[in-house]
Amino acid sequence: MNIGILTGLVLLPLAGALSTAAIDARAARAVRGVGLLTAALVFALAAVMWTRFAAGVAGLQFEERAAWVPGIGLGYHLGVDGLSVNLVALVALLFPLALAAAPVRDRPKAFVITMLLLEAGLFGTFLAQDMILFYVFWEAMLIPMYFLIGLWGGPGRAAAAIKFFLYTMAGSVLMLLAIIAVYFQGGRAIGAPTFDLPALLAHPLGLSGETEAVLFAAFAAAFAIKMPVWPLHTWLPDAYAEAPPVVTVLLAGLMAKAGAYGLLRFCLPLFPDASRAFGPLLSTLALVGILYGGAVAWTQGDMRRLLAYGSMSHMGFILLGIFTLDVTGVQGSLIQMINHGVSTGALFLLAGFLIERTGQARTDAYGGAAGVIPAFAAVALIVVVSSLALPGTNGFIGEFLILLGTFQVRPGAAVAATMGVVVAAAYLLAFIGRVFHGPLRDDLRRLPDLRAREYAVLIPLVLAIFWAGLYPHPLLSRSEATVTSLLARVARTQPAQRPSARLQVSRGAAPRLQPVRTQPVVSRKPELLP
Amino acid sequence: MTWEHFSLIAPELILTVAACAVLLLDAWETGPSLDVGGRPSSAAWVSLAAVVLSAAAAMHPARSPEVAFAGMYVRDQITQIIDLSAAAAAGCGVLLSPGYLERFRLPAGEYYALLLLSAVGAMLMGASRDLITLFVGLEILSFPLYLLAALARRSVRSQEAGLKYLLLGAFATAFFIYGVALVYGAAGTTDLARIGQTAASPLLNIGVGLVTIGLAFEAALVPFHAWAPDVYEGAPLPAAAFMSVIAKAGAFAGLVRVFPQALPHLAPAWGQMLSVMAVITMVTGNLAALSQSNVKRLLAYSSVAHAGYLLIGVASGGEAGTWAVFYYLAVYTAMNLGAFGVLILLERRGEEADRIEDLAGLVQRAPWAAAALVVCLVSLAGLPPTGGFIGKLYLFQAALLAHRTALALVAVLTSVISIYYYLRVASVVLGPVGTTAVAVRRNVPAGIALAVLAAGVLWLGVLPSAPTSFIQQGVHVLK
Repeated sequence: MNIGILTGLVLLPLAGALSTAAIDARAARAVRGVGLLTAALVFALAAVMWTRFAAGVAGLQFEERAAWVPGIGLGYHLGVDGLSVNLVALVALLFPLALAAAPVRDRPKAFVITMLLLEAGLFGTFLAQDMILFYVFWEAMLIPMYFLIGLWGGPGRAAAAIKFFLYTMAGSVLMLLAIIAVYFQGGRAIGAPTFDLPALLAHPLGLSGETEAVLFAAFAAAFAIKMPVWPLHTWLPDAYAEAPPVVTVLLAGLMAKAGAYGLLRFCLPLFPDASRAFGPLLSTLALVGILYGGAVAWTQGDMRRLLAYGSMSHMGFILLGIFTLDVTGVQGSLIQMINHGVSTGALFLLAGFLIERTGQARTDAYGGAAGVIPAFAAVALIVVVSSLALPGTNGFIGEFLILLGTFQVRPGAAVAATMGVVVAAAYLLAFIGRVFHGPLRDDLRRLPDLRAREYAVLIPLVLAIFWAGLYPHPLLSRSEATVTSLLARVARTQPAQRPSARLQVSRGAAPRLQPVRTQPVVSRKPELLP
Repeated sequence: MTWEHFSLIAPELILTVAACAVLLLDAWETGPSLDVGGRPSSAAWVSLAAVVLSAAAAMHPARSPEVAFAGMYVRDQITQIIDLSAAAAAGCGVLLSPGYLERFRLPAGEYYALLLLSAVGAMLMGASRDLITLFVGLEILSFPLYLLAALARRSVRSQEAGLKYLLLGAFATAFFIYGVALVYGAAGTTDLARIGQTAASPLLNIGVGLVTIGLAFEAALVPFHAWAPDVYEGAPLPAAAFMSVIAKAGAFAGLVRVFPQALPHLAPAWGQMLSVMAVITMVTGNLAALSQSNVKRLLAYSSVAHAGYLLIGVASGGEAGTWAVFYYLAVYTAMNLGAFGVLILLERRGEEADRIEDLAGLVQRAPWAAAALVVCLVSLAGLPPTGGFIGKLYLFQAALLAHRTALALVAVLTSVISIYYYLRVASVVLGPVGTTAVAVRRNVPAGIALAVLAAGVLWLGVLPSAPTSFIQQGVHVLK
C-alpha cells in the first residue's frame, strides 16, 4: 500500500469541500476564498506532478495501490501516464479559473462545495487504473454536474440537467455490465478475476470476435455520449446553454475530454481488433459531427448554442484523430484535447462575461461592441483564431497533426475534415462579426471593458494558447511514448482464438470468486525521477 | 430439548422478553388512563437496550451450523447476518420514533413491543430449517406489522392501511400454508434439508410456487405488491419506515433458505420463474414511482423496485447470488430507513409532511438532515460512492456469473429510470425554499439514528471490504 501525490489530487478538493462546509453560509467572501485557495493548492500539486513526470516512459508513473475489496478483485489503483498527464494538468488549470471567474451570488457555499466535489471526481476519472474505481469516479462526477446545471442553470435547467444525466447514465450502465463481462473473461484468462486494468492487459483476453464487438460497443457508447459523438449529441445544446457559463466551461473543457480519454484508455487496449474494425464507422461519425456541428453552429442565434455546436464539431476532430490509430493522429488528438479545453473554455468564459454584462445571449442583441470594449474584443479575437487553428496558436498544432495522421490512413476523410476547418472559420468569424463589428447599438455604449478579475482569468488561458502553439514539445513529449506503445498493442492481431475461450462458459464451470493476486507491477522508484 | 437450545435462540428470546416487559412497563407508567401517548416514555430506552443485547448475543460466533429444536431451527452464518440486519433495523427504528410518537400521541408501549416482536419474526425466518418455522416466523413478522400500520387510531388512512394489509396478508399466508401442505404431500416432510433431496414433481413445484407467493407478498414483489403503496402511505411514518425494511429482511431470508439453500438441484426451474418475477417487479416498481407526488408512495414503489433488485440475487442463485442478496439487504436497510427517517423529522401543520414539495429547500433549514437524505437518495439510485452502487455491482456480477444477461440488462436500465425520480426529490431538497409551512422537529435520538444510517450507507459504499468479506465468508462456510 503506497499513497502519494495522486491520492492527494483527489483528496485535496474533498478536504476543501469539507472546510467550505464548515464556514457560515453568509460569509460569501470566505467561502469563495477557501474554494479558490483549494483549487490553487491543487493546481500547485498538479504542477509538481506534471514537472516531475518523466517524458519518454510508456508505463504508469506515480502508481498507488491499496486493497479495496480484495474478495472480488477490486483494488484502489491510481496512476498517470502519457494519456492522462496533460489532462490532469488541464483539470487543475481550469478549476481555479472557473471559480475565480464567477462570483455566484445564489447559494455560493453550496456552489463551491459542488465544484470541488466535481474536481475530485474528474481527477479520479483521469487517474483510476481499476475499472470499477474508474466507473465510481465517472459516475461520481455526474452527480455534482447534475446539481450544478439543475440548481444554478438558466430557466430550462431542470429539464436540461435530467436529460444530460439520463443520457450519460444510459450509456454508462451498459459499460458497467461490459466491465463485469471483461472481469469474468479476464478471470478465465489470468486465473483470478480482477478489475485491475494493467493486470487485465498483461494477458490476451481471448474474446471471440462477436463478443469483443459487443463489449467494444458498450464501452464506446458510454464514451461517445459523453464526448458527444453525432448522433448521440442531443443532450448537448440544452445542457451547454442552460448551465451557468463557468459550468459550461467545465462541461465542454473537461467532461467532454473524459469521453475521448476513455476511448484511449479502455476501448483501444482492451479491444484492439474491434477498435480496428469500428475505425471506419467512428471516423465517418466524426466527420458527420464535424460538418453537422459546424453547419448548425452557423445558424444559431444564441451564442451559447453556437459555441456548443462548435465545441461538438471540434470534438469530432479529436475522435477522427483517435481512430486513425496512427501515432501522429493520436498525438494530435491528445494535444487537441488540451487545446479544446483551453480555447473552448475561454470562449464560454467570454460569452459568460458578455451575458453577465447585458443579460442577452442572442448575438443579434449585440453589434459594434469592439469600439466600446476594445480589450475584450482583442482577447475574443485571439481565442477565436486559436479555435480556428491559425498557425502560431495551439489549435493549429492539434488540427494539423490530426489531419496529417488522417491523411496517411484515410486521405478522403482528411479532405472532408479540412472542410470542417473552413466551416469553423465561418461560424466563429460570424460570431465575432455579429458581436463586435458593424454599427454600434445604442444600448451598448456604456458596456464596461474587461475588469481586473476577468483579466486574471483570461491571461493564463491566452498564455496557454500561445505556449502550446509555439512550443508544444513539453506536451507532446510527455504523451509520445505511451501513445507509441498503445498503438503497437492495437496493431498486433490478437492470438488465435481457442475454441473454448468464449464469454459464455458452460454452466457449473463458473469460477468461484476468490481473493485475487494481481501481477506485481514494477512501479518507478521516486529517485529515478528527474 | 436442552438448555443449550435456549442459549441458541438468545437473540430472539431477549427481544421477546423485552417486548413483554415494555408492554407491562407502559401499563405501569400510564396507569388506568385511556388517553395514552404524548409523554416521553421509558419504553424506547428499554427497547433499545434489548436490541443492543440481542445484537451482542447474535454476534457470538456460531459453531456453524448448530441445529436445535428437532431440526426446526438452525443457527449459522445466515442466521447471524439476518439477526444483525434485523437488530440494526429495530435499533434505528426505535431511535427514529420517540419524537414522532410524542407529537402524534401514539401509544409508545404497544408501538415498541410490536416493533420488537416483528424483528423477532424476521430473525426466526432467517433461522428456519423447516417450513413450519418459516411459517411461524412469517406470522410473527407480519402480525405486529398489521397492528403497527393501524396504530394511529384517530387517522382513517391508518385504519384503512391496517385493514388492507391484514386482509391481503391473510390471503397470502393462506397460500403459503397451502403450499406447505402440498410440499408435505410431495416430499413427506417439511424439513427443508430433506425437501432438498426430493426429486422434482408437479406437486412439489406447485407447493413451492404457493410458498413463494406467501414470501413474495411480504417482500412486495409484483404481482403481489398492490398493498405496499396504500399501506406505506397510511401507516404512521416510523412504522412505514420500519416495515419497509424488516419485511424485506424476513422475506428474503425465507427466499434464500428455500431456493438457493434447500433446492439448488431445481435451480433451472425456479431460477427462470424468479427471473421473470424480478423483471416484472423492477419494471413495474420503477415506472410507477416515476409519477408519484407523495414521498411515502414514491418510497413504497421504490421499495417494490428494490425487492426486484434483491430477487436478482436469489434468481441467480449460487454463492455469489446469496451473498449479494445479503449485502444489498444491509445497504437497503440503511438507505431506506435513512430516507424515511428524514421525513419523520418534518411536520406540516400537525400532519406528516409527505409531499415532495414539502421538502423544498430543506438544505437551508436543516443542512445535516438534507445531506443525509441526499446520501440515501443517491444510494437508492445506485450511484457511487454509496453502498447502493456496490450492492448493485454485486447483484449484477452474480447475474452475469449465472448467465442471466437479460436480467442484468433490465436491472441497469430500470436503475437509470429510477435515477429520474430520486434525483427529482434530491433537487427539490437542495433547491430554493418552498412556500408551505413545514416545520423541522429536531430531536437527538433521531439525529443519532440518521447520522448512523448515512454513515453506514457511505461506509458500505466507500470501504466495502470488511462487510463484504464477513458476508462472503459467512455464505461460503455453508457450502
